[in-house]
Amino acid sequence: MSGTLLLQSSLVGLTNGFVYALIGLGIAVVFRGTRIINAMQGEFSLVGGLFAFLVLERLGLPMFVAFPLGVLVGAGLGFVIERVFVRPARRRGASEESYLLLTLGLAFAISAAVLYFFGRDSIALAGIGGEGSVVFFDAALRVHAIWLIVISCAVMVLLKLFYARTLIGQSIVAASLDEAGAATVGINVPLMHSLTFLLGGLVGGLAGVLVSPMIAVHYEMGLLLTLKGFAAAILGGLANPFGAIVGGITIGLIESLAVLTVSSGYKDVIAMAILIVIMILMPHGMLGYGRRKGG
Amino acid sequence: MKPVGNWFTSRLSRCLLITLLVPLGLLPVAPRMASAQAGAPIPVGAVVSLTGPGAGLGQAERNGILLAEKTINAKGGIKGRPIKVFIEDDGSKPDIAKSKAENLIFNEKVRAIVGPSLTASTGAVSAVTNARGLPQIAMTGLGPQIELSYKSLFHVLPPQALNARAMLEYTTKALGAKKIGVLHDSGYGQLVMNALKGSAGAYGVQFVSVEKFEVGATDVSTQAAKVRASNPEVVFVIATSPTPFRNARQIRIAQPIVSAIGSSAYEYVRGMGEFAHDIVFPEFIVGEDPLPHQAEFVELYRASYGAPPKNYEAAGWDAVHIVARALEKAGPDASPAALAAAMREPYRGVLASYNFAAPDMTGIDLSSYVYSKLVNGKFTRLQFATK
Repeated sequence: MSGTLLLQSSLVGLTNGFVYALIGLGIAVVFRGTRIINAMQGEFSLVGGLFAFLVLERLGLPMFVAFPLGVLVGAGLGFVIERVFVRPARRRGASEESYLLLTLGLAFAISAAVLYFFGRDSIALAGIGGEGSVVFFDAALRVHAIWLIVISCAVMVLLKLFYARTLIGQSIVAASLDEAGAATVGINVPLMHSLTFLLGGLVGGLAGVLVSPMIAVHYEMGLLLTLKGFAAAILGGLANPFGAIVGGITIGLIESLAVLTVSSGYKDVIAMAILIVIMILMPHGMLGYGRRKGG
Repeated sequence: MKPVGNWFTSRLSRCLLITLLVPLGLLPVAPRMASAQAGAPIPVGAVVSLTGPGAGLGQAERNGILLAEKTINAKGGIKGRPIKVFIEDDGSKPDIAKSKAENLIFNEKVRAIVGPSLTASTGAVSAVTNARGLPQIAMTGLGPQIELSYKSLFHVLPPQALNARAMLEYTTKALGAKKIGVLHDSGYGQLVMNALKGSAGAYGVQFVSVEKFEVGATDVSTQAAKVRASNPEVVFVIATSPTPFRNARQIRIAQPIVSAIGSSAYEYVRGMGEFAHDIVFPEFIVGEDPLPHQAEFVELYRASYGAPPKNYEAAGWDAVHIVARALEKAGPDASPAALAAAMREPYRGVLASYNFAAPDMTGIDLSSYVYSKLVNGKFTRLQFATK
């Protein structure tokens, strides 16, 4: 195995890891604010990426307009989902399983709607920096992938600050940990839940516009992303956004190195076997300590 | 003396029974009477994959089937009778394909079945059609060996072994390459890969790296990097997804890429974005530059759907025309066996030149292939031809 191949595989694994991490980050955000496992996180990305494509290609508007609009549509979808579906279910005393089923059903419905209205085509979205690559020791990394990594890290830091330093961030965490207690001190708990889904949709939409140039928008993309993002979030520690990044990178690198060292056919077997071992040794995730502290 | 209540309920039950049974008894008679009337439509069944993993094939085939039905009827139908194609979706599942075929045979009384789109479904449906000797035009290549014993099953697509040979013909004769790297998926790609291995010796080629990935994978860059590192002279990318084509070029595979017929679809080309360039496909029809005998179909297709057709649209068109020609020759009321016998002869279709009397019940040879190359997202026909 040459050094170039090892470096190339590591760069691919790192890039894929950040793709999983961005989705996992959204799942962690929703879980932290509502204790709901959102099985439609990937659909926020699908809708965000698709909307960005429509603005970019059909309306002919520039990328700096299309991408933010895609992110905002993801946020709007998150807000609407909470108000129209999650809140009525909560009012009727829905259980954790009910929310999982609800969001899973919505994921299938959105995927089917995209299939119906936009067809089976994969849509290639232009990336930041086009298809340009940076070459390190004969190994290539797309310019867009560098942006994806930088923006993911920035989002993680901003979320950390948001939860730690802002009144709304702290209110969201409080409303999630103890609804009655939060309401007693004057926190509008339903609003915090709406804002949580809005934030989850925002992160999902951002993931959509950043991930779509890497993997192409496709009606089945949402569920595929959710599965990997969910694994990333669980591995890192579901309640810790930083954990999703660590979890995502871990999965991405393991997958890539498994392809390199063993065989493509055993990629998922090896990656999942290692994840099982990690979860047995660290049942709260790799960064689960923060969760046990209550944050 | 009978109680009044019992007498009343017994009369009522009898009336109800008669009311229910009489129409049921007439049901099987009614279609027979209708079909005997001059001008009554001749029912033809079609089982295709409109949903599920095979939908990319089935939807294209449906377009070809509907256009063929419309065209045949516009030209006067079969001896003055129009054909009516009943199209069923098998959801890409063999068990559903079988039950849909049974419905078409027993309820719609179809004279022949067109389809299915997938090899496994063809196996399931052909077990039903073979038992009744009903003609079936499968839009797949020859599947399991048992199909060779079926006398009423015909195929309008070549077996994978022939697709593999078509790829190797171009690679060795046009490119002069012997060292090949392969990037393929675990579904369609695996089938072609198996066939490629069987033909490698005859062409004297060596597979210097073979990388497989699961169907639906969102990134195969590491596999592409391994192929690149093996320094092949040419790279085969075989998949039902644009992802490996994008990743191969993103990872800077600069060698020529040769693909297979199943990857030649506009939906994949759109997904390749700016990487839809310099990729060669051995196929049967290039809608942008058709052969003379394909021109009429291409024009009709463009007029109906606003886009050029590809291989599976042509397969649907040919399948219905093969049924129509047999109906014309044997007569609309011919027995299934007579209809199947009428099909067992050479036929020049839009997709290929068939010989349904051949042992593989297809008779397609390499001379039916044309080669296309993607140039900036557009298919262009190459001059290369197999002898």
